[in-house]
Order: sequence, then C-alpha cells, then structure tokens
Amino acid sequence: MIGLVDGNNFYVSCERIFQPKLEGRPVGVMSNNDGCIIARSAELKALDIPMGTPAFKLEELRQRGDIHLLSSNYELYGDMSARLTQLLRNACPDVAPYSIDEMFVYLEDFTAEQCEALGRKLRQRIRRHLGLPVCVGLAPTHTLAKLANHVAKQDPYYQGVCLLGGQDHTTEALLKRTPVSSVWGVGHRLAERLAIGGVRTAWELRESDEKQLRKRFSVVLARTALELRGTPCLTMNALDLPRQRIMTSRSFGQPTGDFTQVHNALRRHAQRSAEKLREQRSLARAVMVFLNTNRHRRDQPQCFPQALIALPSPSDDTRVILDTVRQGLEQMYRPHHHFMKAGVMLLDLVDAERHQLSLLGPTPHHHHPLLMAAVDQINQQMGRGTISFGMTNAPAAWQLRCAHRSPRFTTRWDELMLAGTHPGAIDACTSRT
Amino acid sequence: MLGQHTPLTPALPLISQPQPYLTLTGRAGFSGFPSPAQDYEPRTLDLNTRLIKNPTETFYITAAGDSMEGWGIFDSDLLIVDRGVKPRLGHILVAMFDGEVLIKRYALYQGTPHLCSAHPHYPPLPLEGTDCQLWGVVRAVVHEYLR
Repeated sequence: MIGLVDGNNFYVSCERIFQPKLEGRPVGVMSNNDGCIIARSAELKALDIPMGTPAFKLEELRQRGDIHLLSSNYELYGDMSARLTQLLRNACPDVAPYSIDEMFVYLEDFTAEQCEALGRKLRQRIRRHLGLPVCVGLAPTHTLAKLANHVAKQDPYYQGVCLLGGQDHTTEALLKRTPVSSVWGVGHRLAERLAIGGVRTAWELRESDEKQLRKRFSVVLARTALELRGTPCLTMNALDLPRQRIMTSRSFGQPTGDFTQVHNALRRHAQRSAEKLREQRSLARAVMVFLNTNRHRRDQPQCFPQALIALPSPSDDTRVILDTVRQGLEQMYRPHHHFMKAGVMLLDLVDAERHQLSLLGPTPHHHHPLLMAAVDQINQQMGRGTISFGMTNAPAAWQLRCAHRSPRFTTRWDELMLAGTHPGAIDACTSRT
Repeated sequence: MLGQHTPLTPALPLISQPQPYLTLTGRAGFSGFPSPAQDYEPRTLDLNTRLIKNPTETFYITAAGDSMEGWGIFDSDLLIVDRGVKPRLGHILVAMFDGEVLIKRYALYQGTPHLCSAHPHYPPLPLEGTDCQLWGVVRAVVHEYLR
C-alpha cells in the first residue's frame, strides 16, 4: 500500500499553530512581496476569493478586519514540513516527500486494515503533536492514493482517512463519479481530447484499451490507466505531471560525505530543474534542497536535512536557483554523514507569461530570458550539460516586501511565540516594549 | 533583516540520536607513550539531549507575566514545550484559552481539574465546560541570569 499524507491548507495551518486567534477566521497567505494570494483557509475559499487574487483588491476587506492576509513565512512552513517528514519517518521508515506539504509513505507487508489504522493514528498524532491538520489517502498505487486523499479531504464521511482497495466496489463507484480531469496527470487539454473519444470519467479511462491509449496519447497516460486499475507502474519521477512543483533527485553512485561532491550533485539537479521549469514556462517562488542518508544502514548515523528558501521574486533563472541551492546546502549540511541521495525541489510555481503580464509583481531580478533560452537550445542540440554554469556571485541584497509576515516562531530566538502566565499578560508585555 | 533571502534550518536537530563527534582519542604527542586519558572516551555534554526528548515535537516559547513565579517561571523565561507528552496532573501546560496562549499548572482544585496559576490574583480556571485546548506540556524552563 502507498499512503499520501497531505496537509490541509498547509501554509495557513502553520500560521494557526502559533496564532490561535486565526482559528475559524478567513486567512490568506500572500506571495513574495505581498503580490497575490497563494494559500487560503477554508473560510477564505468560502468567500469565493480565488487563488492568485491580487492582494490590493482585498485591502479593503483586510482593513475592515473581515479577512486576515499574511506575507509568506517560508522559514516557518519549511520547518513544520521538516518536522512532519520526520514524524512520519519515525513511524514508517520509507517516506518520500513529494512537495512541502505532501508525503508518500510506503507500507509493505501491511493488511488494508492495518494501513487504515496506521493512517488514522498518524493523522491524530500529527494533529496533536504538531498541531497540523492532514488527510491521508491509502491505495495500491500513487494515482489512486492521490485520489483517495482528495476524497478524504472532500467527504467528511471518511474523517480524514480514505482507503481505496483498487478492485472493490468503493473504488469503482468513486472512479465512476470522478471526472477524468481530476485524475493525477490529466490536464484540461488532455481531458478535452479524451472526451472526444468518449472518455469522461476516471472509470472510463481505467477501462480503456491500454495499447490504444499508448498509441493515440502517451505512454504516461496508458500507465495512469493501469494505475487506476491498481497496478503500480508510475515512479516518483514520472509524477512530475501536475506541475505544481518540480523535483530532480538522484542517488549517488557511492554514498558520500564530501561537501563538494554533494554540492556538485545538487548543482546538476538545480540546473536540470531550472530547465524543466523553463520547458513548462513556469517560474518558481521557493526552492527546497534535501539530503538523505541510507536508512538501511543502521550502523551509520542518519540524517535527512532539508532547507527551504524563498526566492526574492519568482524566477526561472538557473543562476538564481544555483545561488539559492548553495545557500540552502550551507545552512543544512552536516559533516560526518554518508549521504546517499540529494535533491532539489522547485515549489509554488506560477505561469511565467501570466506573471510577466501582470504589472503588479516586481520586475524579476537577474532576468535574462534570451540567455537562458540560448543555453537551453545549445544543451538540447549538443547534449545535456554541454553548457553549464560555473560558480556565480553571491546575490545582491534584495529588499523584499513582507509587511504582514508573522514571526518565524520556530527558527529565530527573538521571534518565539509568547505565552502569558495569566489572561492579559501578553498584551501587557507587548505594550511595555 | 526582513525576508532577505532567509534560509531555513530547523532550530533544533530533528533526530534524537547524538551527533557523531570526531573522537580525539588521547595520545601523548609523538612520544609513543599511551596517554593516561586514553581509557576515557571524550564526551561533549549536549543540553539538547538532556532537555529535549522528542525533538520533532518540541517547540520553544517565551513566557510573559509574573503570575507563575511561584513555580519558577519568570517573565521572559524560555520554555521548552513538548507536544508529544500526555498531560498529567501536576504538569505545567501551555493551553489555548479564549483565544489566548496561557501557561498554567494542571491540577485539581476542589476536586475537579483546573488550570492554576501561582498568584492569588488569578483564580483557577475550571476545565469543564470551557473551550480550552492543550497546546503542549512544559518540559523545562530556562532562566538566564546573565544575558
């Protein structure tokens, strides 16, 4: 069985752990420079305020106190994400973070009942011990687990944990009422093409002839259909489809504790990630870097450090991403460990064209689309890695606007949460200073 | 400085096992004599391992106010709060009470569980019938005399 643990409104939930007054209120988190909404609480969604709404349009609501808008606090979200991953690792060793708030757990040799029980236990523990609400989807394949998670979030009947057996009646009923566009990796355009051929629901995709799918569409879609049947055939790397984040990671040929070797691997991954980013015409808002030791080597010290750094403005520039990756590595690197795997993840992607058309955002720094296009073209024609980037200069001091950022409660000594010894003590304390 | 390319590392190591330190086993220079310290493995005492039992679930909080001084918590002390501990009577808790974050002692008062302070001005708050949510259990308090 594969489990997908996914945070509910993760950014907002992180804020609420330390600011109880935000509980039950409409809360939005804004992009860097307070440009637009990138995360919403359920209450804000209920007000029909869509993702990407420019913050200035909401200024009136904010000033009236009807809604709360916060600048993004990536340091806090990254720390809570690292805690979530570690909590899962303590319970089940095989964990693969898929994005900042989504983690796959691989449960071998467990019965369905055991999986569901574990899912409920984990959900409760994450809620109590970290303060984070999550939902858990369990199924034999990645694609079904994603769907199960979606159901767990939408349908209160499941109380946050949904298990799809793959062959049972529940799975069939669910697939029959799921539009094909909701299936992981099926975009809107693909869904339209499928509809012409009479495939409208996830069930119809599952029942389609695999060879036909491969011939008329793609290998990936054929595999998706197999996955819906409960046959695992998509690996994590193939799951880059939803394009909400881009990950490049690879195991080292031989475990290494050498900083330069680790750095070089991360540099390769950063360059490849940036290429993928430009291929799909997106810009990233944040970069996550992570390292894993070999968890099967119990005799060796283990660590799974990760670092998340926000970019000053959304970017697809390889040099910006390389600089950020180096900073992240310097922050998290621990000597005397044998690292087995290194990875770079680009998060909170935005559509490049839409972003550049908007006059609201700041002009991207270091913006050299022609240079990047030239590099990509050369690498495409002459082979990957023909041109790569040397060391770049340290980035200029960027000034970010984040007027409404909450304190970095878990990573800065001078920004810790205050707790009063009696009602009113915190107010007295803050008015004193 | 605000948001300036702020990198992230967890404030505490998320794994409870001790870090592998380079062991500098005692050897007296190049004389070839074994050092008398050789039999003593050098160790570094790490406050993290002493004060933090569940690193993943441990958070730091700053205390505000004077009404817990009777139990040794002073204004602006550092609290080490473990969210992984099940609260028992006598524990000092961080709890959400009426939208406020409070530090109180979890104890019986007139036979029922209350959140108590150590100050006569602040009567015990009954837990029954109130919307009080546990945030975490205070495992230790750090009071710095010199800063």
